[in-house]
Amino acid sequence: MNWPQLQTILWLRLRLARNQFFRGSGLGAVVATVFLAAAVVSGLALFVGGLLVGKFALVGVSSLHLMLVWVGLTVGFIFFWSLGLLTELQRSETIDLQRLMHLPVLLGQLFFINYLASHAAVSVILAVPAMLGLTFGLVLSHGPAMLLLAPLALSMVFMVTAWTYCLRGWLAALMSNPRRRRNVVMGITLGFILIFQLPNLYFNVIARGNRDVAQPAASPEEAQRQRETRRVVDRSRLEQALAVQPFLPPFWVSVGAQALAEGRFGPALLGTLGCLGLGALGLRRAYRSTVRFYRGETGGQAPVASTAPTTATASAPDQFLERILPGVPEQAAAVALATFRSLLRAPEVRMNLATSFIVMVIMMGSMFMRRSLKLPPAAEPFIVTGMAALAVFMVFQFLGNQFGFDRAGFRALVLSPADRRLILLGKNLAHLPLAAVFGLLLISVATIYFSLSLAVFGAALLQFAAALSLGFTAGNLLSIMVPYRIQPGTMKPTKMPTVAMLAMIFAQLLLPLALAPAFLPPAAALYWANGDWPAWMPDAVNLLLSSLLAGAAAALYWHTLAPFARLLQKRETKILDLLSVEVE
Amino acid sequence: MDVAVETTNLTRHFGTFCAVDQLNLRIESGHFYGFLGPNGAGKSTTIKMLTGLLGPSSGIVRILGEDVSDPQRALAVKRRIGVVPENLALFDNLTAREYLTFIGRMYLLPPATVRERCEQLLAVMDLLKDEKKLTLEFSHGMKKKLALAAALIPDPELLFLDEPFEGVDAVASRALRDMLKRCVERGATVFLTSHVLEIVERLCTDVGIISGGKLVHQGTMEELRRDGSLEDKFIKVVGNDQVPAQTLSWLEG
Repeated sequence: MNWPQLQTILWLRLRLARNQFFRGSGLGAVVATVFLAAAVVSGLALFVGGLLVGKFALVGVSSLHLMLVWVGLTVGFIFFWSLGLLTELQRSETIDLQRLMHLPVLLGQLFFINYLASHAAVSVILAVPAMLGLTFGLVLSHGPAMLLLAPLALSMVFMVTAWTYCLRGWLAALMSNPRRRRNVVMGITLGFILIFQLPNLYFNVIARGNRDVAQPAASPEEAQRQRETRRVVDRSRLEQALAVQPFLPPFWVSVGAQALAEGRFGPALLGTLGCLGLGALGLRRAYRSTVRFYRGETGGQAPVASTAPTTATASAPDQFLERILPGVPEQAAAVALATFRSLLRAPEVRMNLATSFIVMVIMMGSMFMRRSLKLPPAAEPFIVTGMAALAVFMVFQFLGNQFGFDRAGFRALVLSPADRRLILLGKNLAHLPLAAVFGLLLISVATIYFSLSLAVFGAALLQFAAALSLGFTAGNLLSIMVPYRIQPGTMKPTKMPTVAMLAMIFAQLLLPLALAPAFLPPAAALYWANGDWPAWMPDAVNLLLSSLLAGAAAALYWHTLAPFARLLQKRETKILDLLSVEVE
Repeated sequence: MDVAVETTNLTRHFGTFCAVDQLNLRIESGHFYGFLGPNGAGKSTTIKMLTGLLGPSSGIVRILGEDVSDPQRALAVKRRIGVVPENLALFDNLTAREYLTFIGRMYLLPPATVRERCEQLLAVMDLLKDEKKLTLEFSHGMKKKLALAAALIPDPELLFLDEPFEGVDAVASRALRDMLKRCVERGATVFLTSHVLEIVERLCTDVGIISGGKLVHQGTMEELRRDGSLEDKFIKVVGNDQVPAQTLSWLEG
C-alpha cells in the first residue's frame, strides 16, 4: 500500500465530505453541525444507556428475554441502516472511481476507503455504541463470557455493511443508464415503503379488523379464558418466528446471546466466524464486481453518458404532445401536455403518487374496515368533504412548486413567447388529472361506504372543484414566490432557500384553513336539516351552496391568473436562477 | 438598414463583480455576428441579457427594434427569435420529437408545419435513430443538436447561439453551418459565441470581442483580415500574448 497516496485519498475523502456537509447556506452548515454533534452525543448516550441496561435492568432475566433484546437491537440496526442505504443510493460513490482510474492509484485503496466511508452512517454511529454498551453491561451482570458478544455484534455489522456495499456496487452497474437508474431507485424506495408499511397494514387494518369482530366476553371467567388462549397463541407464534433465527445470519447475534446466557459458547463463536466469513465474502465480491464494472468488463457500462444508438424507430411517432385540448388555448395545451408527460415519466413523481396511494389505502382501510365505526348520519357528508380536501392536500406538494421539476427546462418557458397566463393555466391543467384521480377515488369510496345520496356525491365533487381551485391559486403563488429545485430522480429539494422551506411548511399547515370553505355547504345542510324544513331540503342546500362555492373559487382562480402571470414574468429570471443553479 | 441588436451602456453586476461593463453593441439585420472573448469575459452573461434570461443591472437592450424592458414587447420579440442558451433548455423526461413539438406549439406553428419541421430537423441533426430516448439519456453533443433544432424550428428572424458547435460532431456541424449560412442569406441575423476561432472566421461577417466585461473590438471580418488572422487579433486585444512560456521550462526536458 502506498502511504502518501493513501493519505492523499483520505484527504480527498474528508474534503469531499466537508464540502458536501457545509455547502449551501450558513443555516445548512449550522444544521449539519448540530446534526453531527447530536449523532455523536446520542452514540455516547446509547453506549452509557446500554451499559446501564445490561448492568441493572437485565439482571436475572431469562435467556429468552435476553435474546429478544438482541433481536430488537438487530432489527433496529437493520431498519435504520436500510433507510440510510436508501438515501445513499441516490448519490454516486463518495469518491467516484471513474474519476481516478487514469491516475497511478491502486484501485484497492480507493475501494477500501470508500467502503470504510460507507460506515459513516447514523445507524452505525448509534447502533455500535449501543451494542457495545449493552455487551459490557451484560459482562458486569452476567459474567465475562458475555464479552464474546462484542466480536459477534461487530462481525454482524461488518457482514451487513459488506453485503450492502456489494449490493450498492451491483446497483451502480445496473444504474449506469440514467433512465434505468431513476427507475431502480424508485423501485427500491417503493419496495422499502411497502415492506415497512406491512406491519402498519397488518396491525391497523387486518389485526384491528379481527379484533373488532371478536365477541365480547360474557363473564370475567370467559374473559380470563380468552386472554389465556390469546397468550398461548401469541407464545406459539413467537416461538415459530424465533425458530427461523439460525437461518438468518444477522440474528446469529441474538442466538449467540441466548446461548451465552445459558452457558454455551459454541453458537457465539460459530456466529462470529460465520459473520466474518460471510462479510469477507461479500467484500471480496463487491471489490471484484466494482473492478470489473469500472474496467468495462461487465455487461453494464461505466457511468458515462451513453452515445450508443438505440434501435432504429420503425413505429409511428407518439403523437400525445400534438393533441388538441378542446377549449384550451394552444400554448396552454402545449405546456399542459408536455408537463403531464414529463411528470408521469419522472420515477420520483410516480413513486410519490404510489406512496400517496398506499397511504390512502392504509388510511381508508383502517378507517372503513373497523366494524365498530359508527358515525351519526349528519356527520357523513363531512367525511366526503374531508376526502375532497384530502385529495387536494395529497397533491399540494406538486401544486406548490410547479416549476421545480422543470429544472433546466424552465429556461424553455422563459424563452417562449407564450403569455405567462397560459403557462400557468397549462401547468395547472397538467396537475389536474393527478388530483382528479385521488379526488374521485376518495369521494366515491366514501360515498359508497356511507351509502350517501347522489346529491351529496355531486356536492362533494363540486366541493372538490372548489378546493382544487383554491389549491391551484395558492399553488401558483407559492410556485412563483418560493420555488425550489428538485434533484433529478428524487423528491429531495436541492439547496432549498430557508424562506422557501418555511413558506412550504406554513402553506402545508395553513392549507386546511384555506380549504375550510369547502365544509360550509354540508354545515349549512346540517343546519337546515335541524330546522322545520322538508326532508329533501338539506341535500339540495348542500348541492346549491357547493355549486356557488365552486363558481366563486373558479372565479377567484381565473381572476388571479392575470396578476400572477405578470408576477411570473417579473420573477422568471429569479426562478430560473433558483431552479438551474445546480446545473450551472 | 434595420438594426437587429442594439445595446446602450448594458451593464451587469454580480455582487461587487462587474461581469458586463457599459456594453454598446450594434448589429445590423442580415449579418452573421461572432461574439468572442476568453473564458469569463462576459459572453454568456451578455447573451442571457439579450434573450431575457437575465435582467441587466443597467442599460438598454433593443432587439429587432423593440425595447425588451417592456414585458409585452419582450414577449413579442421572443416570437421572432430563436435561442441556444449556454446551459440549454431541455426537459429531461421528453423525447427529442416531443420537445420539438412542444416548442413548435409554443410558437403557434400549424400542426402540419410542426410535424414536417420536426422530421427534417431530426434527420439533419441525426437524431432520428435516438427517437425513443429521453433527453436525459442524451450525450452533451446530442443535447446541443436538439437545442439547435429547437432554436431553428420557428424559423426565427434572429438567432442567438451560445457555443452552438461545442460537442457537435463534424457531420452535424457542417450541416448546421450550411443551414445558418442559408438563414443569413435569406435575411436572418445570427449572433454567435464560440471558442473556435476558425468557425467564426469562416462564418461571420462581423466580429465583436469582449474581455473583462468590456467590448474591446468591434468591426467587420474584412477589416480584421487586413490586420492579419482573427487569432492574432484576438490574442492581441485580450492582452494574453505576454504569457511567459519559459515558466514551464521544466517541460522542455
